[in-house]
Amino acid sequence: MSTMTENRRRSTTEIEESTSAWRKRLTSDGAARVAALLSFFVLWLVVSAVFGRVPGPVEVVVRLVEEFARGEVFGNFASTLYRFGVGVALATVVGIAVGVMMGLSQLSRAFFESPVLVGLSIPAIIWSFLTVMWFGFGDMSPIVTTFLTAVPFVIINVAQGVRGVSRDLRDMSSTYNVPLSRRVRDLVLPAVTGYVAAGVRFAVIIGWNGVLLAEWFGGSGGVGYRARFWYDANRYGGFAAWVVLFVGFIVLLDRFVLDRAIRRAFRWRDA
Amino acid sequence: MTDQLVGAATAPRPDRDQDERAARRTAKMRRYRRLGVLTAGWIAMVLVWELGSWWFGSRLLPRPHEVLLEAVEIIESGNFVTDFTASVLKTFAGFAVAAGVGAPVGYLMGRFRYWQAFFHDGVTIAGTIPAIVYAVMSLIVFGLSNLGPILAVALVSAPYVALNVAEGIRGVDKQLITMSEAFGRSPAQIRREVLIPTIIPFVFAAIRMCFAVAWKVEALTEVFGGRNGVGFQIRTEYQLYDIAGVLAWMFLFIAFMLVIERLVLAKAEARLLAWRPEERSAAL
Repeated sequence: MSTMTENRRRSTTEIEESTSAWRKRLTSDGAARVAALLSFFVLWLVVSAVFGRVPGPVEVVVRLVEEFARGEVFGNFASTLYRFGVGVALATVVGIAVGVMMGLSQLSRAFFESPVLVGLSIPAIIWSFLTVMWFGFGDMSPIVTTFLTAVPFVIINVAQGVRGVSRDLRDMSSTYNVPLSRRVRDLVLPAVTGYVAAGVRFAVIIGWNGVLLAEWFGGSGGVGYRARFWYDANRYGGFAAWVVLFVGFIVLLDRFVLDRAIRRAFRWRDA
Repeated sequence: MTDQLVGAATAPRPDRDQDERAARRTAKMRRYRRLGVLTAGWIAMVLVWELGSWWFGSRLLPRPHEVLLEAVEIIESGNFVTDFTASVLKTFAGFAVAAGVGAPVGYLMGRFRYWQAFFHDGVTIAGTIPAIVYAVMSLIVFGLSNLGPILAVALVSAPYVALNVAEGIRGVDKQLITMSEAFGRSPAQIRREVLIPTIIPFVFAAIRMCFAVAWKVEALTEVFGGRNGVGFQIRTEYQLYDIAGVLAWMFLFIAFMLVIERLVLAKAEARLLAWRPEERSAAL
């Protein structure tokens, strides 16, 4: 009886010892990542073979190099980044201000509730249509579109964070006469920064979509304009090259700046 | 003795009544005040809108009542029904594809370490790609057809479904699985009776979470290249520089989608998960 169960259930060390080295290497996380990359490329090749309009990897790389050689990359990227940066910064400042108000008082929450809800549900495409008509072809329409699409997300996140500040700790610190500066520094800020960071991350992802849309319809330079240029020319390779460029940029930004900042801000809670 | 009892029973009564009445009055006052502030929020929004249309001129930003009249006209003309049903059907078809692809991927991710490492990067990157990319990409793949919006919705929703299902699988009660194994249940039985019922709420939570994003992407794809649907109508109105028409279609669509979310999705979820009320509230 005991031998049977031993046969059926081996201990983890026994399993560990019995698997061969090459098998361990093949099933490791690194190998899995390499396999994922490879299968992505194979999938891409298959899709571009099946659908004639989808550009293959080689064509995209060629177009990318051409675009760099033409000197179109840095200028357009810089103008998009400027618009995007101003829009997201504005959204962060306004979002924190309104979010703190909504978190602290019941009445201001009731007041801002419906505007924020409506703002959340208006698609970015509508804002880009409207702002292009209002402000013409310039920096203004992408900035305003980015701001308007991103700000409700920041507000919601910040309001949630402020409401999450423990009431017990607030009562206790007022009972023990903790000075206000310390109360803000040690109680409110740690509880809120993580939510602010999460809100900014949302704002970055949503706002990037907004800036691209406004540039797509606005036509005054920038990443979205350039991507549209190739799309309208029926040269989908050029479009895909720009997609690779800005998706790579946003993934790097998300992974190495925002994700790290969020983990730092939530360190006290997750530890 | 009886006097005392009667006295004890009656003496606190008026007091408690009064307290109760006072409490009810404050609650009522608070409710009225909240309602007042809520309407103040709506009024402020309309005022900002009026101010904007005065500033930009009513051609660039039509006034609220003009948009309202336009919306009434669209409803009366009756051609919103076909476009709305087309858009909604495409959205739900996209969800079906997303659930069909995302749930198995999420299952693998939650169950096996290898597949977790395999899919993790791709799924997180897919979640950060802007919606416009999905919209244009599906147009490049399918051209002007109804399959484009469906693909776009599926591409946007599938990562959320996968991540949520993976989370759900990891949260499955390990003791339940151990017990099923101890009682000699087969893996297929465990999958059917333990794992799948556990992940259904997570699939629903994912779909409700990305519903708001999904219908926007659906409309966006139709704006870029649809042959029917709400996005197509919005583009037509925009090309005619009829901003009132654009806004009217948008607000009708928002209202319609909110109704769908509240009625269809919430009802379907409540019905499917009626047997486990506490998990349902936790999963939301």
